Amino acid sequence: MRKNSGALGTVPFVALGLAWLLIPMLTKIPPYALPTPGEVIGRLYSGVVDGSLPKDVLASLRRLLLGFCIGNGLAIPLGIAIALNRRVSDLLRPLLTFLASIGGIAWVPLAVVWLGVGSGAVLFVIANQIFFGSIYNTVTGVETIPRVLRRAVLSNGARGTQMLWELIVPGALAQIIVGLRTSMAYGWRALVAAEMIAGTNGIGFRMMEAVKWYQTDTIVLGMIVIGVLWLVLDALLFSRLERATVVRWGLLRETA
Amino acid sequence: MAALPAEAGAGSVAASKITIRGLSIDYVSEDGRARHRALEDLSLEVRENEFLSVVGPSGCGKSTLIAAIAGFLRPRSGSLLLDGKPIGGPGADRGVVFQEYALLPWRTVLDNVTLGLRLRGMPRSERDRIGRQFLEMINLVEAADKYPHQLSGGMKQRVAVARTLANQPEVMLMDEPFAAVDAQSRMTLQEELVRIWSQSRLTVLFVTHSVEEAVFLGDRVAVLTPGPGRLKAMIDIDIPRRQRRWAELGNNLLFATLRQRVLDLVRGAGTPP
Repeated sequence: MRKNSGALGTVPFVALGLAWLLIPMLTKIPPYALPTPGEVIGRLYSGVVDGSLPKDVLASLRRLLLGFCIGNGLAIPLGIAIALNRRVSDLLRPLLTFLASIGGIAWVPLAVVWLGVGSGAVLFVIANQIFFGSIYNTVTGVETIPRVLRRAVLSNGARGTQMLWELIVPGALAQIIVGLRTSMAYGWRALVAAEMIAGTNGIGFRMMEAVKWYQTDTIVLGMIVIGVLWLVLDALLFSRLERATVVRWGLLRETA
Repeated sequence: MAALPAEAGAGSVAASKITIRGLSIDYVSEDGRARHRALEDLSLEVRENEFLSVVGPSGCGKSTLIAAIAGFLRPRSGSLLLDGKPIGGPGADRGVVFQEYALLPWRTVLDNVTLGLRLRGMPRSERDRIGRQFLEMINLVEAADKYPHQLSGGMKQRVAVARTLANQPEVMLMDEPFAAVDAQSRMTLQEELVRIWSQSRLTVLFVTHSVEEAVFLGDRVAVLTPGPGRLKAMIDIDIPRRQRRWAELGNNLLFATLRQRVLDLVRGAGTPP
């Protein structure tokens, strides 16, 4: 198995940081277009001290988590039903294909009309995005469980819901985790975008607000916070989940 | 037909455990596209407590026969009886050992062996005790907490056999179980199966394309015609169980004669007795 020590992955970040330091010194980019690292760090400090930054981060994360639970709570059971039942599949597949083409952000105008500007509209948009990022992974996961495993479990006496917990869920789990991971990545991006358009707080909202005052240091800080939070979320949640399940079972080789 | 009373064992005619009459089955591939007649009007009896090998050229429907008895496939016509009762869908009374092992990757070796007991709702302490007994039988106690991907092919198949036996089925159906194992392990597994079977005397239907394996393991060998398969001949293998070791059979004249006879039948040169 390949272990990622993490050392090599930090090189591009260091290079990027150096370039950021040097570019303002070597070119004539106006200071308001590209804030210096010092200004951004200063903004980080003041944001933490006055509590506005943690507040926005928490607002965004709470929304993401809620959207993640709603989206996957619907997508996983429905995906299993579609994969197992021909009729459910025939009934819902065309509708889902139609709705999937309307990306999460395209729902913002209607969501604002229905739910008003604020948390409700943003939540609707990201739950929608997460649902479609997840459901087809579950369907594929269930459909690709080898027939011989199904037969083995049946011949050992499994009935009804026993099939679900002995075979279907663990058998599809590798692909379901891929769905959880990609859907949260989709949801995270949709969240920031939706907050920019329809939010009243959160990281995206704060970045859009900063445009009014040309506070580019706040905007750049927001971008960095978005990226760093995702790196942490991915490492804390999904890499661990994978190592505890599908990597341990030999269904997936460790890559990260 | 060749189903005359055999003189094997104590000389009495054993009861029929599995009765197959006029069985015809269409084979449908996994993707549902290909379809052809796999078995045509096959009649066969598997006696109580016997080890019956079924051999035939590839495409003769051997595996389809197993799938039908296991309840995975519906016959087109004909009847399939277990202890005189019609066979329906899959059930724990018919344990199956697959060529692909079919161990659950997400369960440890011990939890794979106790799968059937768990499905019946047996408490953990009791089923683990039974599971360990079966791991002892296949000499794999030390692998109890490993996952299947950490085992060799031969070890996986021993675990699969233990899983089937632990669930105490009425019959054990084996679908080319040693075909994917390397030649060295295969001979060991065959000898181990002789030893294990001699202890349990379970009714076994063993499908293989290897004539040598069929003769080595079986009390009788059923030879099927090329597809669609029917019964071509039934050969009694009167070699005592204690002699069934490769070191001993290498220069056993009876084994060589029977092997040649079955081989001729499979290749079409021999005539049914």
